[in-house]
Amino acid sequence: MKNKETLISRDLSKNQEYIETQYSHGVNMDFVSRPLTAATGRYHLFFYSTTVDTKQLSNHVISPILSSKKDVPLPALLAVPGIESLKDMKKVEDALSSGYVVIFQEGCREAYAAKIPDLKHRAIEKAENEKTVKGPKEAFTESLDTNISIIRKRLPSKDTIVENVEIGARPAMSVSLVYIRDLANPEVLDNIRKRLKSISVDTVCNIEILEQFIEERPLSLFPTMLYSERPDNASNYIAEGFIVLMMDNSSSCLIAPATIWSFFHSPEDRYLRVIFGNFSRFIRASAYLITLFVSAVYIAITNFHSQLIPIDLLLAIAASRERVPVPVFIEVLIMEFAFELIREAGIRIPSPLGPTIGIVGALILGQAAVQANIVSPIVVILVALSGLSSFTAANYSINHTLRISRFIFICASSLFGFMSLLGAIMIWTVYLVSIKSFGVSYMSPATPSTKSTHDTFFRILLKKERWRPVFLKPQDKDKQ
Amino acid sequence: MRKLLVMIVCIPMIILLSGCTDRKEIEEQAFVVAVGVDKTDKPNIFRFTFQIANPEVGSSTISPSPNESPQELVSVLGADFLSATNAANSSVAKEITLEQVRVVIISSKLAKSNEFIHLMQTVPSTVELRLNAQLVVSKEKAADFLQQNKPKMETRPHKYYQYMLDRAKETGIIPDAPLSRFYYITEGDADLFIAPLATVKPEDKQEYKSEDKYTAGDIPLKGENKTQFMGSALFKEGKMIDELTGEETRISVMLDPTLSQQDFIANYKDPLKPDYKIAARFKAEEPKITVDYRPNGKTTIYADINFRLDVYSIPSTVNYISDDKKRELLRNNLERQLKQMTEKFIEVTQKKYKGEPFYWSLHIRRHFLTIQDYEKADWSKKIYPNAEIKMNFRLTSLEFGKVLRQSDLGRVKD
Repeated sequence: MKNKETLISRDLSKNQEYIETQYSHGVNMDFVSRPLTAATGRYHLFFYSTTVDTKQLSNHVISPILSSKKDVPLPALLAVPGIESLKDMKKVEDALSSGYVVIFQEGCREAYAAKIPDLKHRAIEKAENEKTVKGPKEAFTESLDTNISIIRKRLPSKDTIVENVEIGARPAMSVSLVYIRDLANPEVLDNIRKRLKSISVDTVCNIEILEQFIEERPLSLFPTMLYSERPDNASNYIAEGFIVLMMDNSSSCLIAPATIWSFFHSPEDRYLRVIFGNFSRFIRASAYLITLFVSAVYIAITNFHSQLIPIDLLLAIAASRERVPVPVFIEVLIMEFAFELIREAGIRIPSPLGPTIGIVGALILGQAAVQANIVSPIVVILVALSGLSSFTAANYSINHTLRISRFIFICASSLFGFMSLLGAIMIWTVYLVSIKSFGVSYMSPATPSTKSTHDTFFRILLKKERWRPVFLKPQDKDKQ
Repeated sequence: MRKLLVMIVCIPMIILLSGCTDRKEIEEQAFVVAVGVDKTDKPNIFRFTFQIANPEVGSSTISPSPNESPQELVSVLGADFLSATNAANSSVAKEITLEQVRVVIISSKLAKSNEFIHLMQTVPSTVELRLNAQLVVSKEKAADFLQQNKPKMETRPHKYYQYMLDRAKETGIIPDAPLSRFYYITEGDADLFIAPLATVKPEDKQEYKSEDKYTAGDIPLKGENKTQFMGSALFKEGKMIDELTGEETRISVMLDPTLSQQDFIANYKDPLKPDYKIAARFKAEEPKITVDYRPNGKTTIYADINFRLDVYSIPSTVNYISDDKKRELLRNNLERQLKQMTEKFIEVTQKKYKGEPFYWSLHIRRHFLTIQDYEKADWSKKIYPNAEIKMNFRLTSLEFGKVLRQSDLGRVKD
């Protein structure tokens, strides 16, 4: 970085030459270098035509300069909301890269940046991946300013802080920490800041990459930060004392610290009335158990504990298995793998081809596989059931955890039946309990048990929620 | 580091080498639904008959094999259940498993012999044979029973036994007799054990008796399937000593707090017109047994039984329904009828069998501090046969079905 201390010259043409070489003027088609000669002197404007608002540029920058009669300092002259004085070339370059217009004046050792950026992004749309029926529909979009404005709209308070931390170098990106000043635990905040600063890689483009840089155990099966695209979800967590990380170019945010429960909760659980919400929780809780264990239990029971099956079902299984050439374990693996294929293809397939997946999945893999005696119908039911159940996961990150864990359990149960299955469940649970997310136990507030909103398996009446999640050590514990 | 290496090598080895022990694919097993055991000429050698369910018939609509039979019978000689399954494998292709056995059928000849208890002794060590299988005593050879029992509506054998035993147990004409109960009672050595009695060879002389006074074989039944489940076989010290009729079985089940009984429909004498009968649904609550134990005097056993009756038909058209006096009469009479019936049977158990099939020894055990004391007091030989038993029947609810008055047959005939 040789231009670090390069100062701005009084000679306008020197400055112009410097900037034009730095920004490859003439090669970069959208880099504009425009001289202006007004009554008060000579000016020079640099900007990217693609990142500035050209209407504002001509109305509020160029025309005031051209029409001024007296030599007024630029900040007083320009009718734009943000104007900054730049002392050296490093600052000039940063401003140009951010999409500002930089104005040099003949005989002046200062340049001015007029902040009239117009970076293009998607409009606010409906949440795609975390849908709810009841509740707000808007989702984050790929513009930090828009996202923060949505959050500000939800938490209009002087205590809502949006703090920027710079990371990376090429280019430096800023991560915004959003939290409530008198709630968020300063230790957790420091922890996050420290981890952000320790990132030594030169570029972190978006929040999804950032997640992997700052999480405690990147190889773990469990995500330790909640990834959400819903502003209502994010602001609910902020109001509880959690910290939200946002970045430009990401249509989602990260919520930290995360507990295992937050992955299973949908914001809709709180929007629905308590009984309805809990009913939906119950369905989801059963679905998690089904998706984790149904195939494994089937293998264990049919291979090792056939006396547990009612004889009608037993004979039905035996009858359908009679012509299947492979053992139950392989049969289940084949079908689970096929289901994973459908799922993976369903995500990647271009949407005009989407319906094909349905036909291939349902007909070929379901019915035809049974008719061809490759799998038995019961296995198709089980795999469909466990696959369907895995989609009830309220959060996409935990979806993978459930799916991979399922394969672990399937393999475990094929070794010694229930004995090894229980062993695997035990190790899995012990691991689960041992995880920490930014110093907070992953299973809290269930274990270690602390005061909280009592919103773990089921939630209680909102009126009776007395405490904020105390496991976060918020500065104010009492909610009421 | 070396330790770690050893662990890395050893743990997968343990899993790989010992994994999949006891793993059996379902379709590679032949599930026995019923086992029949018969006595042979040689001592301690028995004929085992296995009734094996064919999973392909009736279980699945996807792969029906129309020409296969829903079951297969295999009969072999053997000394115990497990070795017999191996012998049977000489003709059955799949591995024979006993884990789904629903009934163990014993011929009454074997049940009455001394060998029976020796055979039964091998069962608990047979991990496979579940102890909730029902013990059934057949009057003829068990092999014949299995061969000739051809239910028309339940072609799949396990379904037949399931429905047949469940329904008969509900009405109390046969008792609930899982193998485990046989061991509890036999090893407790204080009570008598009753097991359902069945036959496929009805006797020729068949006469009408009241609906539950039969034992298997003498029910005047006509139909394609000759099988009859009725009454019970009475076991004392692991040996069959007598047969009980359906009525006696019902009384035993009613007096036994450990057995549950659903309601059943029975006929009672009409107190005012003894030529007629009254049909009613009977439902007894769990009996309350209290034992007043006197180590040196006469022990008294109190049995309180609350029951309810829903009267269905009064063919004599006596107006029990709206006439308070007659209704009171009926109520007292019914209580008396039941008491007499029960007392008669209890007397038989005290005098003839010198033991009771009601599992009442459970209620005296609390009077002793140690097992030795209890064994010394000897419930079956000393206490029960000499005890005074006071029955107290109480009709808690008497209902008369849907009609409010009997139709006046005199006027109809007129």
